[in-house]
Amino acid sequence: MTKPLSIKNLVKKFGGLTATDDISFDLNEGQSTGLIGPNGAGKTTIFSQIMGDYRQTSGKIELYGSEISKLSTPARIRLGVSRTYQVPRPFAEFTVLENVRVGLMPDSIWKMITESPNVDREIELALSVGFSENDLRRTPDELSMGDLRKLEMARTMATNPSIMLLDEVFAGLTVGEIDQIAKLIQKMRSENMTFLIVSHDLKALEPLVDDAIAINYGKIIAQGSFASVISDNAVRTSYLGT
Amino acid sequence: MLEIIIQGVLLSGLYALIAVGFTLIFSVGRVLNLAYGSYIMVAGYIYFYFSQLLGLPPIAGLLLAGILGSCMGLIKYNLIVKPLKGDHIAVEISTLILAVVLQSAVILCFGNSAKILLPIIPGVMHIGNATVTFNVLVATIASWLILIGLYLFIKKTHVGRAMMAVSMDAKGASISGVDIDKINMITWGISGFLGAIAGVFFASYTQLSPTMWVAPLIIAIAIVIVGGIGSIIGTLMVAHIIGFMEIISVALISPQLRGVFTMLLIILVLVIRPKGLFGREEL
Amino acid sequence: MGLGLRWYHFFLWAGFIVIMALMPEFVSKGTLRTIIFANFLAIFAISWDVLSGRTGYISFGHPFLIGIGAYTTAILTKRFDVPVEYAIPTAVIMTMVGGTIMFLPALRIKGSYFALVSLAFMELIYQLVQVIRPDLTGGTRGMSGIVTLTRGAVNGYYLSVTLMIIVALCMWLLMRTRLGTALSAIGMNEESVKGSGLSPTKLKLFAFMTSAFVAGLGGAFYVHYLGSIAPRALFDINFVFTIIVATLIGGASTIVGPMFGAFFLTFLLEYLRPYLPGAERYLIYGAIALLLYMYQPKGLYHIVMSQLDRFKKRADDD
Repeated sequence: MTKPLSIKNLVKKFGGLTATDDISFDLNEGQSTGLIGPNGAGKTTIFSQIMGDYRQTSGKIELYGSEISKLSTPARIRLGVSRTYQVPRPFAEFTVLENVRVGLMPDSIWKMITESPNVDREIELALSVGFSENDLRRTPDELSMGDLRKLEMARTMATNPSIMLLDEVFAGLTVGEIDQIAKLIQKMRSENMTFLIVSHDLKALEPLVDDAIAINYGKIIAQGSFASVISDNAVRTSYLGT
Repeated sequence: MLEIIIQGVLLSGLYALIAVGFTLIFSVGRVLNLAYGSYIMVAGYIYFYFSQLLGLPPIAGLLLAGILGSCMGLIKYNLIVKPLKGDHIAVEISTLILAVVLQSAVILCFGNSAKILLPIIPGVMHIGNATVTFNVLVATIASWLILIGLYLFIKKTHVGRAMMAVSMDAKGASISGVDIDKINMITWGISGFLGAIAGVFFASYTQLSPTMWVAPLIIAIAIVIVGGIGSIIGTLMVAHIIGFMEIISVALISPQLRGVFTMLLIILVLVIRPKGLFGREEL
Repeated sequence: MGLGLRWYHFFLWAGFIVIMALMPEFVSKGTLRTIIFANFLAIFAISWDVLSGRTGYISFGHPFLIGIGAYTTAILTKRFDVPVEYAIPTAVIMTMVGGTIMFLPALRIKGSYFALVSLAFMELIYQLVQVIRPDLTGGTRGMSGIVTLTRGAVNGYYLSVTLMIIVALCMWLLMRTRLGTALSAIGMNEESVKGSGLSPTKLKLFAFMTSAFVAGLGGAFYVHYLGSIAPRALFDINFVFTIIVATLIGGASTIVGPMFGAFFLTFLLEYLRPYLPGAERYLIYGAIALLLYMYQPKGLYHIVMSQLDRFKKRADDD
């Protein structure tokens, strides 16, 4: 059975800075892995390379067994991977529903013209991440940071992925909102969705993941069960600083 | 052959001056100033008015034009670019509208017909069997001096280095304490000055007309696309490539095909190396 | 197709068509000729809007596309005696093909490149057209004595208005589909469009070719209305300016906006003509356009719509 995601010896250098330093790991189908580490450790950089926001310096990225390094971002999304961004980037002049609509669209001009938007599905997605009926016609400038994060989540789900990369999706959310997103993630886990989740909120993260990978300075410093990783000495030092 | 080399050098120097003023705004401010050509046109007319109509000495006319160019730049920045907060589509459109407005204003004041500028320095000299007007020679030498001065300014002075910093990473620069607004103003002022001086030279090289702002703008555009943004030296080199290409195509192929090779070069660069030959990054 | 059509859409379009059809009864021949010009400007503005109004890839070289259509049909009909029914479709295809070849490299990259390249290419084509095969293109002076499709103001009016309404209606409907949504999304945040699984290049190319189609069509019919072609008027920055300002005043990305903007601008120009003949008019309405754009970049369409929204809200509250 091919693994949804397989990273081999990934290296990314920005000039003199090595942001990703020989990283390798796999995700099995339905597995949920937490990616933790201090700021600047290189977690988001890994996401960006997987999605194709930029090209790795060297190393392999395989999605369901195929090397994807030559593929464009939309092509990778069609293969089933999708991500949220730490800084939300919604479409500024569209309502919540219209934002989701873009994510739901097929990448075919003919279909875009001939088929109508699936408004029911748009509403369903928006409500599932915690928006209320009133919010649906709001535009991003009227939304709180928490709402924008929810919108990111809804847009990511709209592309119908089988692998989701979540980048700090809980930051700025209230306890109730975190709860709602957490329930949503658990539901998707039970439907065999594969997750790679970055979060500073370790308490919220714990129930959502099967295991964890800790990163610092672009290298993996610990890997294994969530409990063993967070009690690892190197990991504790990386968070507290030496 | 000698003629080609000399003409090429002379033209390229002028092109370099024209291009640098344009590139500077991009590099530092990240916006497109499509009214850049207007500095060139207005400056030409100002020089014409003061030096030819009023009879002031050429240097005075030149300096006045330069100062006016600077002022135009500052006004443009404060009234148009700043309020638009870096919405690059809006700046593109607004500066184009402004350019057309300025063109109409000039027609209103000076009429529609083209005018010939008297040479800044009359007389010609001969190198081999090539005839070189002092006018163009002085223009080229002045261009080089100004460019060298600018290069030193950017590398050696505090303000110049701040400009470089902003062009590489505006957010980082502002966190380090650079006053972005002030740097932008200075850049627009310098750009206006450069454009104006280039304008007077350009007008004396060709002729003065209300539509003369388009051609230098196109040249500046070509140099920016082919050369990329990020270094004055790169701009200089590409200015020479394009300058020589034009001279060669005029002399050896056909005067009318002047622009074609530029066009082809633009397409080639965009397909193969969008950053530009010497560019650090994309626009 | 999810066009979201309401009864008032039908009503407004039908009303508009009826008014335009009856126009010759109410106005003089002179005014009809002005409206013909407005119709063509509307077609060009709509063409610009489909691409630049939506995606933000500002084209400063639309006359380039219009010119290909115009010159192709002019050369075919005048120099080679090709019948108009074949020349015009050929012209449209040439515009799409030629335009794509020239602009594809720039379209694949960022919007600012495209803007620059389009300006540069328009100027360069202007030079080229005067010097390459002037026996075909008529060189600097252009061509005259080209076949005209209609005779007289009224017939010319009907042809132009029919063309304009067909173009406007088709583009308006097209932009109301999800394609229109996708194109607008590109204008807002192209990176996010990629992140939503859509390829912007494919979309931009489609928008461009649609825009070229309309521009070529308009250019070809315009030549056969005027019976002549003059490069100096065609490849003029003032023409670019007119098209863009018409679109912006009306309201970019709305199709209907550019249509009304074109009429507004044409009549404004005509009104100013006795007072300010010549290029000075551009000064006034350029200044007005600039102020209006900086104050309300979304144009008259948005101003009207937000007033209507206010009425609706007040009605809902009561």
